[in-house]
Amino acid sequence: MHYLFYFLRKRYIYFLFLVLETLSLILFFNYNDYQNSALTYVSNGITGSVLNVSSDVSEYFSLKRVNRILAEDNAKLHSNRSEAFYKADTDSFYHKDTLYKLEYRYISAKVINNSTNKRNNFIMLNKGHNQGIENHMGVIMGNRIVGQVVSISNHFCWVMSLLNKDSKISGKFKKNNQLVNIEWSGGNYQIGEVKEIPKHVVIHIGDTIITSGNSDIFPEGLLIGTIDHFTIAQEENFNYATIRFSTDFNSLSFVEVLIDLMRQEKENLKKSFKSSER
Amino acid sequence: MTIIFLKNTGRFIFLILFQVLILNNIQLNGYISPYFYIYFILLLPFETPRWLLLLSAFLLGISLDVFTNTIGLNASACVLMAFVRPFVISSISTGTEFMIGHSPSLKNQGLKWFAYYSVILVLVHHFSLFYLEIFRFKEFFQTLIRVLLSSLFTLLLVFIAEYLFYPTKE
Repeated sequence: MHYLFYFLRKRYIYFLFLVLETLSLILFFNYNDYQNSALTYVSNGITGSVLNVSSDVSEYFSLKRVNRILAEDNAKLHSNRSEAFYKADTDSFYHKDTLYKLEYRYISAKVINNSTNKRNNFIMLNKGHNQGIENHMGVIMGNRIVGQVVSISNHFCWVMSLLNKDSKISGKFKKNNQLVNIEWSGGNYQIGEVKEIPKHVVIHIGDTIITSGNSDIFPEGLLIGTIDHFTIAQEENFNYATIRFSTDFNSLSFVEVLIDLMRQEKENLKKSFKSSER
Repeated sequence: MTIIFLKNTGRFIFLILFQVLILNNIQLNGYISPYFYIYFILLLPFETPRWLLLLSAFLLGISLDVFTNTIGLNASACVLMAFVRPFVISSISTGTEFMIGHSPSLKNQGLKWFAYYSVILVLVHHFSLFYLEIFRFKEFFQTLIRVLLSSLFTLLLVFIAEYLFYPTKE
């Protein structure tokens, strides 16, 4: 016993090192379990307020670009207004139509922290649980995708951007609806990878890739990017291409969080399907 | 003693804010992301007890982590770096006694000593940080390039800071 204490005292520095190192590794690898823990709530509150100040300053530098995107969106919305249509029958624009039910609601949020130079990038937004944001909601900018919410506190949330090794987006070719997977392999933040393109699909440079709507996160038809370069594989079953993202991740300032009003219904359906399978 | 403590605390806060507000926003072709905040660990006084070295490194890492949403990643790299530091110092000891209350610096230890010291520690930190962040061997060489380029950039900042704040007297 005496020797044990002697040993511990002599080597305490190694034990302290091991304890701290294990602690940080456990935190790192289990971080997903901590997503809504008290730790996140407290730390997001503190860091959020610091980052808020910094983004208030940097916001001014991107005003021009934000204006352009707003103007584009405005134009698109104007062309969807009822005045823009030729009215053959006035009743066709009746708002409380049972045929049209609101599926998505958008919450505008400001980006207060963003990175593109790491292998796994995250974005912090200034909206959180109090504004109705929940985990796994999609985040878009105009009609371009940005990422999905992975962690929330009362007033802030973290978004896993497309530029992350855990981010896999289900997309499709706009021209023929062929499904593909989009990932990011690090390096240049403008270029991603398109995987599992079936052999029979003819690829052209400049082909548009949009979201497939197969996942619960993004609706169909949001812009992901255009084909930048492709290789025809000789021995494998799938071709490979690189994609140029249409979202400029390095200059995000205002984004929208997608709230799926029918999500509960979809999840319940999934659950009932799974339980009936057993 | 109190002055040394206050000086280091101030440096801690300044370096974290500098890293979060300025360096994390730097975008250089996706391969270079400097981590200058570890300058704090490089500059801790020679006679800092090893337990304090480890604890302050852990605190430094975890405070940066809460800003970048990577809890534990920077902390583990910093703890490793702080653990290695005494070994590096003893391996290149010049035989002369270090003065009480002094930090390692270009001015007192000379260019050769300081370069050896900082290159090893920065590489240890960056290697563990980048490979832990990826945690797969598929992108081994790509990550190696990132480690080397980022280390180069961090070292550049360290040397600029050394020449700025502790100018050598001719």
